Amino acid sequence: MWGWWRFGKWTVLIMFLHIISILIFTKGFLLTRTELPHSSHCSDLSQSPCHSSPSSSSCWTKPAVDRLIIIVLDALRFDFVAPSSFFEEKQPWMDKLEVLQRMASENPSSAKIFKAIADPPTTSLQRLKGLTTGALPTFIDVGNSFGAPAIVEDNFINQLIQNGKRVVMMGDDTWTQLFPHHFNKSYPYPSFNVKDLNTVDNGCIEHLLPSLYQQDWDVLIAHFLGVDHAGHIHGVDSTPMIEKLEQYNAVLEKVIKELQNQSGPGKLHENSLLLVMGDHGQTLNGDHGGGSPEEVETSIFAMSFKDLPSLPSEFDSSSCEPSKNICISSIPQLDFAVTVSSLLGVPFPFGSIGRVNPELYALAVCTWNLDDDKTWNNQGQTKLEEWLQNYANVLCINSWQVKRYIDVYSASSVIGFSSEDLFHISDLYSKADENWSYTKNLSSYKHGSSNTSLPVLKRQIVAYSNFLSYVAELARSKWTEFNLKMMGTGIGIMLLSLYCHTLAIKKLNKSYGVSLLSSRDSGISFGLMLTFFMVLIRAGSLLSNSYILKEGKAANFLLATTGIMTLRYSFMKNKMLIEAAIFLLLTFIFRIAIEVGLYKQAATSQFMSSSSSWMLGISISPSLWTYMAEIVPILALIILGYFLYKSISSCCWGIPKYVIMGTILSYFLIALHWISESNILDLAHFLKGFGKNSIPRTVYAITLVQLSLLAIVPIFSKEETSNCRGSLFVKMMSILSACSSTIIILQGKQGALVALGSLLAGYCMMRLQGIEKHTVSGTAGISILGPLPVLQWSLLAVCLLFASGHWCAFDGLRYGAAFVGFDEFILIPQAILLTIDTFGFSHILSVFGLPLFVAFPSPFNQTEHKSLFPIKLFWIFMVYGLITAITATATILCVTIQRRHLMVWGLFAPKFVFDVVGLILTDLLIFVASIYYFDGVEDRIGNAKLRRLW
Amino acid sequence: MKEELEKNPQSTISSSQVFFIHVCCALALAAGFWVAHHVYSLNLVFDPTKTLCLIWAIEFPVVILLFSCCRQKPEKCSYFTAIARGLLGLPVGALLNALGALALGAPVGLQYLEKTVNWSLLMSSFTFVPTACVCGSSWTDWHRIFACTKPNGPLEFMLCLPAHGAVIGAWFGAWPMPLDWERPWQDWPICVSYGAMAGYVVGMVGSFGLALKMHAGRKQLKAE
Repeated sequence: MWGWWRFGKWTVLIMFLHIISILIFTKGFLLTRTELPHSSHCSDLSQSPCHSSPSSSSCWTKPAVDRLIIIVLDALRFDFVAPSSFFEEKQPWMDKLEVLQRMASENPSSAKIFKAIADPPTTSLQRLKGLTTGALPTFIDVGNSFGAPAIVEDNFINQLIQNGKRVVMMGDDTWTQLFPHHFNKSYPYPSFNVKDLNTVDNGCIEHLLPSLYQQDWDVLIAHFLGVDHAGHIHGVDSTPMIEKLEQYNAVLEKVIKELQNQSGPGKLHENSLLLVMGDHGQTLNGDHGGGSPEEVETSIFAMSFKDLPSLPSEFDSSSCEPSKNICISSIPQLDFAVTVSSLLGVPFPFGSIGRVNPELYALAVCTWNLDDDKTWNNQGQTKLEEWLQNYANVLCINSWQVKRYIDVYSASSVIGFSSEDLFHISDLYSKADENWSYTKNLSSYKHGSSNTSLPVLKRQIVAYSNFLSYVAELARSKWTEFNLKMMGTGIGIMLLSLYCHTLAIKKLNKSYGVSLLSSRDSGISFGLMLTFFMVLIRAGSLLSNSYILKEGKAANFLLATTGIMTLRYSFMKNKMLIEAAIFLLLTFIFRIAIEVGLYKQAATSQFMSSSSSWMLGISISPSLWTYMAEIVPILALIILGYFLYKSISSCCWGIPKYVIMGTILSYFLIALHWISESNILDLAHFLKGFGKNSIPRTVYAITLVQLSLLAIVPIFSKEETSNCRGSLFVKMMSILSACSSTIIILQGKQGALVALGSLLAGYCMMRLQGIEKHTVSGTAGISILGPLPVLQWSLLAVCLLFASGHWCAFDGLRYGAAFVGFDEFILIPQAILLTIDTFGFSHILSVFGLPLFVAFPSPFNQTEHKSLFPIKLFWIFMVYGLITAITATATILCVTIQRRHLMVWGLFAPKFVFDVVGLILTDLLIFVASIYYFDGVEDRIGNAKLRRLW
Repeated sequence: MKEELEKNPQSTISSSQVFFIHVCCALALAAGFWVAHHVYSLNLVFDPTKTLCLIWAIEFPVVILLFSCCRQKPEKCSYFTAIARGLLGLPVGALLNALGALALGAPVGLQYLEKTVNWSLLMSSFTFVPTACVCGSSWTDWHRIFACTKPNGPLEFMLCLPAHGAVIGAWFGAWPMPLDWERPWQDWPICVSYGAMAGYVVGMVGSFGLALKMHAGRKQLKAE
């Protein structure tokens, strides 16, 4: 074992460094907030210290509005709504929604424009989630990863439904994806066609005005998409955008007019509130998703159809524009859900951390009437006190709900808040709470003398507000801000590990005696340059979301490029032309498979439009197609089995023979399994006795037995073989075959084809590698390894991942594979199966297949000294590991650079998780494989050395 | 000039000839664009098929006629034989280029067939046709120029550099294709054609520069 340790320590060190750096980086980067499944209920309020509302009909708060009309204008910039006098310069797109400005300036007490601040990521889906749940964005949307993005957390819409409110929705179909069963009536229109500016809007307009006369709803949501699409296609400063805004202005004018007509006592909209709001802003180019002010600043216009007084100035945060008599105040979008819930009198969403916004609340809740602060008459003051009392009570409920959420969250979540933060939260809350019991008592028996109770109430409100804003601040810093120091440290350690890697390779080169990297042959140093170049390109390509999305194609492009280079090289040497050509053909086939995979991905991805470039335009009759799909994989399996049979018949002894025989048996079983699943041959009833799970389980069992045989037997039996290359080849064949059967059955029918393809590709690459060996061995007697084949092998591994229908996203996992051989969900075996399925070809088989380049008994290499052999083996593992590590480091760097990118959670973060898991798995496999292979090689060399010593 | 050529048919070609041929090829390329734009009001972005067709239709006769003049062993091979070789080389080279493009990821599909065919004909007239005219079916020459990249003398550099330039340019031209900028020129084969043409022109400039240098070197030798 000491021989292994000589180089093996490097693999251990590098693995250790990788794990440390990834852990540190992940802690700084993945700021996960887990979703809690709890929801609020009316009855919960009895646990709170607050006043329950006096009337039994209301739930948490007294309903202030009966009907709510929410008009969402997607990607509504703040300067679309606010008057142009707020900005330095008047732009053509400003002041187009003049009806809102007019309303806000004419009745400042009942209509108001707010600047709403969204939390990034500013995409519609994430924003709608944020608006309705009142929570900050989550990193991994578990719901989303299974294809349906329905919201699992408690939210405002859910509360409405639970409390018997009827909701009507029209417009963007994202709502129906988020809330599949919540709406009484919905008129969804597809949102994915960005070029279509009108379908969604026209549909909305068609249903919006008639709905205003109907009585069958309490909350109406109309989501217009035109501005968002116009921005994406034409930009903000364009005629279509201005036309859209003018169209909206006309629609809003009609809506407001209708509502005003219906707002008299006893009429339909006697007590209605209109909210016109954006979900996020957009840049001048029409982009959104990031965290720039243009993207996060949107607007809420609220208007109630009652005559209302204005708010006491303490709670008024607005900045005013005296010339036009418009005041604009700012509201975080976080506050939306809880404020609207309090207005409608439904329980606040469980996970909301917002605060009931006093200004928005005051617009609708009218309990007092006064003209001016200074001329308070006695009645007005009582009214004001009543209002403050009411608001303080709402804030009390609000604070209690937030405190409850924080408590439940930190009790149930792994990554919660630090204890100091929690202590501070409790401290603030208990202070406010103590105060409250005093305030409550005060107001209950000192009803007459309100001079003293007013400042007390105000202090109370401030105490609650402090608590709520502290929580929101803390949550924002914990959940949405990156810890750059930790990320930097992680990257630093990662770079250090890369340095160690190169150091290790240099050491290996030294012990090899000749420098492998700088060679005399120009062809090989060209290969080294090409390798560097390719790795650089691949690393750089990860900076762009488009290349990550089409990573498979990009890797295939590079693979084909290296293929063409080897073809050219073999032309140069006039050797192995056929192998080079077959290799190119295989890359072409893999490419088609990757495109089929991309096509599948486009069906579920929110970022991709489906492209059908691979469609041949030839229609094969479907029956023939299914027939082919059934037959071809089985044929591939038979061919694989035949290859294995040939390989054992040529070199057969001992354990490997039995292992390979076992694999052939497994292949037979897999073929039987597929036949029984299909309906070509009527074998189903014949096999029914076995049950459909027995075959996969047998295959798993065979694999386990094979692997344990391979692991245990070499310890006990030390058989001498004359040819250590040959024995290595047999070892490789046996472990590859042992792993392959499980991977193939998990991958399903494509697995057999991919396995056959990779076998052929591996064979070709090995042969092609022989060109160089041959040319050099004649002179020096030492075969020289180039890094290019290793690069090709790793590119091939990437291609295999994509060609077998996976991609780097959570919906790219093939969940079906977890249930091959199992019916019910048990976490650990299912997770193992899923991992094997995902990383089977691209990592497990690739790493175990690496000795291919040194193992094959090639006729040119007989002269080579045996002691160099393990060094070469390690060299190959190290170079492969280095290439993987460089790619992963590039991913980490790119994720850091792009951390404010639109698709950071949708695309970069999943890619990061995949790469990081892949890297650690590769390290681990290299560790295992080097021990496994070394065992065979080292013993013999050790014996040889001993013998020489004697 | 001609006498000199006949005396030493293997490698001599004056730098002014190199310059003339390259300028003619570049002018033919420009003329193709001009005709497409002004006569047929076509554009590579809006109608790549027809534009590419026009460009190669103008480019390849020029290439064949010019390069057939500097064929190897003119005493054995007539001008018309050289032209015939060039004509034969056009589809063969197109096939090879198309196969290479497909291996690298050019879209497969009937709707792309015309574009791919026209693009590969253009590529063929950049890469394959000149050498077919000059070297014919001499395997050793092809092997030396393209597989080993060890061209001899300005004539072979004139064949080698622009061809490699065109291929490498096309390879780089494919890079913007997957980006999500949604620009019409990102489609196959528009940016690849642009890249190929740019690489071709760069290759021609390089080969002219080398020809000048070699010429100067030879003069120096003679002077010494």
